[in-house]
Amino acid sequence: MIYVLNLIFVFLVMFMSAYLARHYIFTLTALYHQKGHSHHNPHDTPYQPTVSVLIPARNEEKVIGRILQRMIELTYPKEKLEVIVIDDASTDQTSEIAEEFAKEHECIKVVHRSLEDGGKGKPAALNHGLKYVKGEIVCCFDADYYPQRDILEKLIACFKDPKVGAVQGRVTVLNEPNTLVTRLVALERTGGYRVDQFAREGLGLIPQFGGTVGGFRRSLIESLGGWDASMLAEDTDLTFKVYLASYKVRYVNDAECYEEAVENWRSYWRQRSRWAKGHMQCAFRYIWPLAKSKNLRLREKIDGFLLLNVYFVPILVGLAWTLGATLFLIHPPPWIEILWVAISISVYSSVGNFAPFFEVGIGAYLDGRKRIYWLIPLLLLTFMFNMLICTKALVDLSVSKVAGKKHHAWKKTLHNGRGNCYICNNKVKQDVN
Amino acid sequence: MHMSVGIGTTAIMLLIYFSLHHMLNEVALISISVFNFLFVFLLFPLEGPLFRKVYLLVAGNIVGLIWYFIKSSFGAASVFYLGTDTLKIITVVIGPIIDLVWIVSVWSLSLSMLASAKKRNEGEGENI
Repeated sequence: MIYVLNLIFVFLVMFMSAYLARHYIFTLTALYHQKGHSHHNPHDTPYQPTVSVLIPARNEEKVIGRILQRMIELTYPKEKLEVIVIDDASTDQTSEIAEEFAKEHECIKVVHRSLEDGGKGKPAALNHGLKYVKGEIVCCFDADYYPQRDILEKLIACFKDPKVGAVQGRVTVLNEPNTLVTRLVALERTGGYRVDQFAREGLGLIPQFGGTVGGFRRSLIESLGGWDASMLAEDTDLTFKVYLASYKVRYVNDAECYEEAVENWRSYWRQRSRWAKGHMQCAFRYIWPLAKSKNLRLREKIDGFLLLNVYFVPILVGLAWTLGATLFLIHPPPWIEILWVAISISVYSSVGNFAPFFEVGIGAYLDGRKRIYWLIPLLLLTFMFNMLICTKALVDLSVSKVAGKKHHAWKKTLHNGRGNCYICNNKVKQDVN
Repeated sequence: MHMSVGIGTTAIMLLIYFSLHHMLNEVALISISVFNFLFVFLLFPLEGPLFRKVYLLVAGNIVGLIWYFIKSSFGAASVFYLGTDTLKIITVVIGPIIDLVWIVSVWSLSLSMLASAKKRNEGEGENI
């Protein structure tokens, strides 16, 4: 029995070490490839297909005006652009605000979902919007987002390559100074996009489509059957569908968009629970097709495997911690003290949104940040929180599976519009521009 | 050049630690080695004067040593007052958090100092 437990413990440590090595490679890649990375100049490209932007919105009255105003300010030719706001059965002023914009601007269109059909989550709303789309490329932005003016040129340029099926831009936190949670989320985003996604793009692995600040070929999304409304992480689901269909996802670090991050631990819990459950759903669905796929190279398969399982890592760290402690106390083998250090490293390697502290730190440095580093040790808080979130998500999914429940309730993140003040602030406005 | 100096400095310090192995346990040695590894390969390539980087690396090692001596002292005191078993439980349960607190903090602080120096230099450059 002890022998088996020892073996499991060693396996867990090896699994966590694989993630540690992966993130270390990503960090080195971001660090050493930064100078060689070609910065795309959107105004050099003549490639400008018709584009439809989908903005799903449910009770977003505090932020919808901000993104629609920005859509008008986009530098992409208006005759090739249509913006479709999907009013997902909002009960506040979202619909009225969007209609006001639509009256004044020809490129903006509002489609409504009835109270019976609406409120079933973002994928269902996007599928509804897809019926009205005319553009060759379909882009998605969440209602609380605020993109750069030339973001579409930067994103769309990737579609010149016929192998590219989807593209993803960078997400940056708008309301970073508001609370400790927004600051920690900003750090997570820095590690996740500036280093993680950037390195995956650079190494030819699997950059992930994040569900917003990105786009698809319309022909591809239609052939894939649109968004799967039963998935809570419809973005990860689509990423793998795209790869399995022999297309690529590209990440464009220069295409930046500000988001309004969750401001308290309760909202953080809700949002991350949805992400964790959705990611785990994808892991169960795609592990085997990924392994069997003949369209993917070995390194893409390995990266895809690690990406799919990333939300299991906090659970495995917790399990290894418990198992290691038990072995240590009841029957310590001579080598356990050394492996115990690996648990420590893994704890700190999984902080934040599963980006290790050094990845987050280097990301912040590459972004030219000056003072945010003192918060890095506090990412341990988010890791401990994620341990609970992921464990609960796995339990919930298992219970649903046993109960035969296929649909999971989509818990929407509420946006309070407190990020608006940073857009009025000239300094941030210059940065955004 | 910077990397070579960093690797050399680390090698010298690790040789000293191994010669003091009777005073340092495996956990301390591994943790300090991890710190040195992350410092040399991730902070030495960044912009900044070599002297400052070596100074921060050595300072980090000193903090790590002090950390383990304090931890060992607490351990010895705990054995006296609480007994060996209680100390074992405390070490095992909170060990994964405690062992790397100094690494994350010192590494982040060093990065912050390098980033501030870079910003300052850029500012001076603009003024010129």
